[in-house]
Amino acid sequence: MASVTYDRASRIYPGSEKPAVDSLDLQIADGEFLVLVGPSGCGKSTSLRMLAGLEDVDRGDILIGDRKVTNLKSKDRDIAMVFQSYALYPHMTVGENMGFALKIAGKGKDEIATRVAEAAKILDLEEFLDRKPKALSGGQRQRVAMGRAIVRSPQVFLMDEPLSNLDAKLRVQTRTQIADLQRRLGTTTVYVTHDQVEAMTMGDRVAVLRSGLLEQCDTPLRLYQQPANVFVAGFIGSPGMNLAEFSIADGHAVLGSARLPLRTESLSALSAEGADRVVVGFRPEALDVVSENDPGSFPVDVVVVEELGSDAFLHGTLPELPEGADADARRVIARVDPAHPPVKGERLHLRIQTGKEHLFSPSTGRRLPA
Amino acid sequence: MSTTLETSRGRGEPPAPPPPPPPSQPPSGALRRSADWARRAPLLPALVFTIIVTQLPFVVTLIVSFMDWNAYYPDERGFAGLSNYASVLTDVNMRRAIWVTVVLTVVVVLVSLLLGMGIALLLDRKFAGRGVVRTMMITPFLIVPVAAALLWKHALFNPEYGLLNGTLTWIWSLFGSDNPPQPDWITQAPLISVEIALIWQWTPFMMLILLAGLQSRPLDVIEAARIDGASTWQIFRYMTFPHLRRYLELGGLLGSIYIVQNFDAVFTITSGGLGTANLPYVIYQTFYQAHDYGRASAAGVVVVIATIAIATLALRTVSTLFQEENAR
Repeated sequence: MASVTYDRASRIYPGSEKPAVDSLDLQIADGEFLVLVGPSGCGKSTSLRMLAGLEDVDRGDILIGDRKVTNLKSKDRDIAMVFQSYALYPHMTVGENMGFALKIAGKGKDEIATRVAEAAKILDLEEFLDRKPKALSGGQRQRVAMGRAIVRSPQVFLMDEPLSNLDAKLRVQTRTQIADLQRRLGTTTVYVTHDQVEAMTMGDRVAVLRSGLLEQCDTPLRLYQQPANVFVAGFIGSPGMNLAEFSIADGHAVLGSARLPLRTESLSALSAEGADRVVVGFRPEALDVVSENDPGSFPVDVVVVEELGSDAFLHGTLPELPEGADADARRVIARVDPAHPPVKGERLHLRIQTGKEHLFSPSTGRRLPA
Repeated sequence: MSTTLETSRGRGEPPAPPPPPPPSQPPSGALRRSADWARRAPLLPALVFTIIVTQLPFVVTLIVSFMDWNAYYPDERGFAGLSNYASVLTDVNMRRAIWVTVVLTVVVVLVSLLLGMGIALLLDRKFAGRGVVRTMMITPFLIVPVAAALLWKHALFNPEYGLLNGTLTWIWSLFGSDNPPQPDWITQAPLISVEIALIWQWTPFMMLILLAGLQSRPLDVIEAARIDGASTWQIFRYMTFPHLRRYLELGGLLGSIYIVQNFDAVFTITSGGLGTANLPYVIYQTFYQAHDYGRASAAGVVVVIATIAIATLALRTVSTLFQEENAR
């Protein structure tokens, strides 16, 4: 078991000017479950493969514990990896798959057999040890891939979207199993996913990447409550945060008839930037349905209502904005009382709960004090 | 495969069966038969022609193989039972020819598989001019067999003006010797000479098949093995080689089918002399020089049976290969 450190690590693919991973600085504590998340092409898999030794590190260093592994081969790094496709060895049985690393390491037959049996017990694979991967279901294959990693008791687990080939129900189930297993084993784990729900539910901390840059790394809750910039705000949370550019008029952020009082800190930060507009974000659950006369309320035309049973989400548009305005800016999502869902086509009035808005600079996208 | 399985399971319900086709009234028996024949009749000439061209010669060979039929003794023509087969299997020349055929096939197939694998491993990586090199590596396989055999016999093996002895002369002259060894390659090692020419021609074929096998290796499995601590050699031993097994079998069996029947190289390089006569060459001799049609036919049937045995195995390998690909 060990910590993992990315020290300004970069990867530039040959034939490309722009780094796929750009000076990644990340400290992962011993025993921590860190999730790398981001849209496709953000460099999260490349970061993981750099740690695995499957990609070169062009600049900077990677450390496992106190050991610099930047130029070490994969086999000398004492890591285990679970692949998206599982990458099971097709001509070997489940038992041979799980014992392969031990066999290569020159362990005795008895030791291999006991360790494989232990791992198989943890993963409920005992009855499949003599089967070939071909004869297993997707979920079983996934468990074999996990087993192959566990058997080695490595210093670090690397997981590259291990759940994306499972169906939705199994994915939710396996999600908790993996998180639980990791806590029991206490092995440092780096987990890559594009699914922000997976990231939020599994990770001790979550690192959000975009175009090779680390946008924010924090606990799931703090990412949700205090996103560092517009990108993180929009990426974390489902359904996503409402984001719109408001103009500033006498101490208020104004969009149509919506008027949001701004605090002096926010105003001074904005004027320091010389901005006359501000990006306001508010989560769907930070909206209340109010009467028309309520100060700060704004009208919304209901387009779709998604009823999930425990929640209902209203998808609406702002009627006050001209048709030509950015379609995204006109769209609003709000969580409403599932017992009394609004009707499609209805016009409602919504108000942002006080103190629940997020303010971002329109030029840099950074979070502003609110 | 697994994904389709899962998705159908995920959806729970199998898709509804397609609606049954609208019932059509079957015409009465006689009418339908004449309609069927109206469709088949125009195809008949082609069918008959194909049977005459492909099947009849074999049937005639089969019949002749059970007959005493020698052009030098036209009066003794008649049914001979299995005596032709008995003489094929007991005659010293024939037995030796069978042995030569086996040795020739095994050596050529094994060596060209080994060389082909080595070259395929070398070519299975990125380098400048890879396309050109690959095309050039394949050319020996594209040359007409007789031309290839002539090339080896005259341009390379010839003791007077061949390239091999020329090279020896040049090397020895570098060290100031004007008395280089000038072996007569074909005389001193006749079977090996034939084998070398055939290996040169068949290595590209094996290389092509094995290269296709190498390129169908799943990359993530190799990466997983690397992370599991396997060295380059261990990856080859435990991952690449088991994956290539079916391709090796396929190459070996296809090569065997062709080399069992080889005639060009033996005929051109040694004319079957010096103990290099294989079965096809002996058949040729029995037929065109001894004019013993019965015996030649019997030997021909033996070769056909051997080839069918090998071909059946080969086709089975190919079909399991396809099954594996589909199962992946």
